Amino acid sequence: MTELTPEHVAATAAALGLPVTPDDIAEVTHRLNALLEALAPLAELPLHTIEPFPVLPDEP
Amino acid sequence: MTPDRDDLAFLGAARLAELVRARKVSPVELVQMYLARIETLDGRLRAYITVLPEAALEAARRAEAAVMRGETLGALHGVPYAVKDQFDTAGVRTTCGSRILEAHVPAGSATAVRRLDAAGGILLGKLNLTEFALGGTQRFPFGQPRNPWNLDHDPGGSSSGSGIAVAAALCAAALGEDTGGSVRSPASWCGVVGLRPTWGRVSRQGSFPLSWSMDAAGPLTRTVEDAALLLRAIAGHDPEDPLTSRRPVPDYSTTLRDGVKGVRVGLIRELTFGPSTDAEMRDAVVETGRRLEGLGATVEETSLPLVPLAGAIFMALADSDGAGLHQRWLRSRPADYDQGTRRRLLTASLIPAAAYHQAARARALLRAQLRAALDRHDMLLCPTAHQAAPLIAAGQAPITSREQVAGRFFARRSYVTPAALAGVPALALPCGFTRAGLPLSAQLLGRPFEEATILRAAHAYEQQVDWSTRRPPMEGSR
Repeated sequence: MTELTPEHVAATAAALGLPVTPDDIAEVTHRLNALLEALAPLAELPLHTIEPFPVLPDEP
Repeated sequence: MTPDRDDLAFLGAARLAELVRARKVSPVELVQMYLARIETLDGRLRAYITVLPEAALEAARRAEAAVMRGETLGALHGVPYAVKDQFDTAGVRTTCGSRILEAHVPAGSATAVRRLDAAGGILLGKLNLTEFALGGTQRFPFGQPRNPWNLDHDPGGSSSGSGIAVAAALCAAALGEDTGGSVRSPASWCGVVGLRPTWGRVSRQGSFPLSWSMDAAGPLTRTVEDAALLLRAIAGHDPEDPLTSRRPVPDYSTTLRDGVKGVRVGLIRELTFGPSTDAEMRDAVVETGRRLEGLGATVEETSLPLVPLAGAIFMALADSDGAGLHQRWLRSRPADYDQGTRRRLLTASLIPAAAYHQAARARALLRAQLRAALDRHDMLLCPTAHQAAPLIAAGQAPITSREQVAGRFFARRSYVTPAALAGVPALALPCGFTRAGLPLSAQLLGRPFEEATILRAAHAYEQQVDWSTRRPPMEGSR
């Protein structure tokens, strides 16, 4: 997995018009890298055959 | 015999309702008692954002008059309760714990609040929470909520005030909201009962949303019986929330004392014996299983391989939903958010669509694993949290590494988010105390719409122990 740099995050946020301050950048980068790293094991799962389930309460 | 005033405060909703019906205690007396406790204790605990003394006393006087006239009384008649400030209350400021909504006064009340009122409950006030129910708030705009068992410790979130107010007897019962553990986490760390109902069992109308497919209102109470009572009051189809179920709402109290003989309990291996679980928490949950076995249940280990990833899956989905909801304010009023909230929402705004989609598929797989386990077992057992309440300061330390993010956010959420991702009911049950005197909590997960099963197991366990009768050592705190 490619590690995102603060520069990547700042550029993407700017492109999306998000108000990320220079003080926010480092922490947002850590948070985003941590989440993507935590999700990385999902790539090993057989997810391609699974559809996200419809969210409806179970009825009798 | 009527208990004395201090004992009365800790009795809980069901017992107080009985005393009101029997004319042994007046609703006015109860409201005055809780208002006095709030005045004495809440300066330090910060459970409440808004207290409603005049309205509560007026409602109590009406409730008292109804008792004296011999009217038919609701199940919660005269019982003072409080709600997380995420639920709309007609004519009463509803902040969602944020400066952004500090002047917001809704015209109507949330369905769950209206149902508690219809059952005779008396609203005492609005309870503190992490900003917009997200978790990770660094500076609480309406005061730092503190754990009644040790004021330096975190009460849990996002329904922080709900957990505190019930534990410290600043109300008889409280309503919280649980998207990914927000009822069960504070219940766990504050040592009270917290119930997340099946998704679709309780209306979401009038509750500020976070993630539409996981938001679930639920009670925080002193006893399991109180949780059953409040759930019955708030559950059921609501035309204003078309995704609520039309299934009839059972009277949970009728099966509450049926015991657990023959009930099959699956002890979730990855959460109970996993590396993140503190030894005191693990031992208390294993002992809870033994107690259930002693009552006639069968307990065996079961494996749910995906649950250690549940926290990250949840954050990819729920935080993305939250970021979508907050885009307008995030762009127009970024400085009005708490720093922790803003950075979490900014992060979620940057989650790649492919990661979101993969998380949505993984959610379906996790849901299938969990429901398959619930085919083999009548309910599942695991810790509600990986550890007892940490220090408040631990959650306020600056984030300087991705490892810190993983430790602070993903691991602990993996205990409470499986039920949210799968849409099944889950109950946080006090199951002991650490050597340092902080509450420990077991979690029972049930099949969809089978709240009655986990309530009766929890009740059977509760009758064997004295955890719910213990009181936090914060009397006189100011």
